[in-house]
Amino acid sequence: MSEHVVLFAGPMGSGKTTAIRSLSEIDVVSTEATNTDRATADKETTTVALDYGEITLDDVTKVRLYGVPGQKRFDFMWSILAGRARGLLLLINNDAPDSVNLLIEYLSDFRELHERGAVIIGVTKSDVASTPTVAEYSAALTAAVPEQLIPVFTVDPRNAEEMRTLLLSLVASVEMRELLAPAPEKI
Amino acid sequence: MNQPLAPATVPSHLNPVHIDAGNRTLAEMQDLASSLTFAAMLTDDGFEIVHLNGAHTDGGRFASMSSSVQALSDAVAHELKIGTNEYVIIASELGHVIQLRVQGHPIVIAALFDTHETLGKGLSIARIAARRMAELIA
Repeated sequence: MSEHVVLFAGPMGSGKTTAIRSLSEIDVVSTEATNTDRATADKETTTVALDYGEITLDDVTKVRLYGVPGQKRFDFMWSILAGRARGLLLLINNDAPDSVNLLIEYLSDFRELHERGAVIIGVTKSDVASTPTVAEYSAALTAAVPEQLIPVFTVDPRNAEEMRTLLLSLVASVEMRELLAPAPEKI
Repeated sequence: MNQPLAPATVPSHLNPVHIDAGNRTLAEMQDLASSLTFAAMLTDDGFEIVHLNGAHTDGGRFASMSSSVQALSDAVAHELKIGTNEYVIIASELGHVIQLRVQGHPIVIAALFDTHETLGKGLSIARIAARRMAELIA
């Protein structure tokens, strides 16, 4: 059985914990604390260390799902967990202020991971805010990272099927990247 | 002198009552242990309420890390079904960090002692401080 480690990142309130709960076959390990920053995201709790879940795809591929806190003050957790991941699922909530630039900022924070692995963008809460459009995100991504084609999807983190489709796409990208990687030189 | 008043809905790191109580508690901690090299009160979600002796430590970063450590320790206790996590100790060569919750509040005390303090005494002082903080903001 092959194994992959995928990181769920994105701003506070973008749906990372919900997405992992939708996907995971095991009880999700969560580290939630009372959220005192209701101005940034109006929700009761927030992740302060990590979320952890697991899913098996096609009976032969196990994917370990790690979610990081959205707030930048927890960026030490980003570094710790990004180091072991090969794929990045970056969620951006469409109702966030200046969400396009926010996405580019988060992508830049995880540059090392998406340069050596694969990345997919999931736009959440597009039912709450209809703009920006997927095309606008794609245009901004092309301008920011012209050397890499980064897929953008709208997704509802509560919907297991939608999340599974996103995850399958990401895992396929990771595996493709591994296949295309140059073989180590023989000594 | 009257205590400053603040509505209960104000987060602890912005609540003048909690800030005042935190400063008093940490000062009392320092009186009990000169080996206390740094201490902070933080919200469960990693905002610093107050700190003591912060000249060489980034209080905001320490608060975020302490919050993560507390939550991970809680998660381990939960996973192993060993009851409520009471305190966390990080024992290192040049000092030890002790952290525990203020009973009944989403507040954590995290204290760094140098190695002149035994772990037992450090823990005892941290417990006294947690009780004191709970009394002051009750």
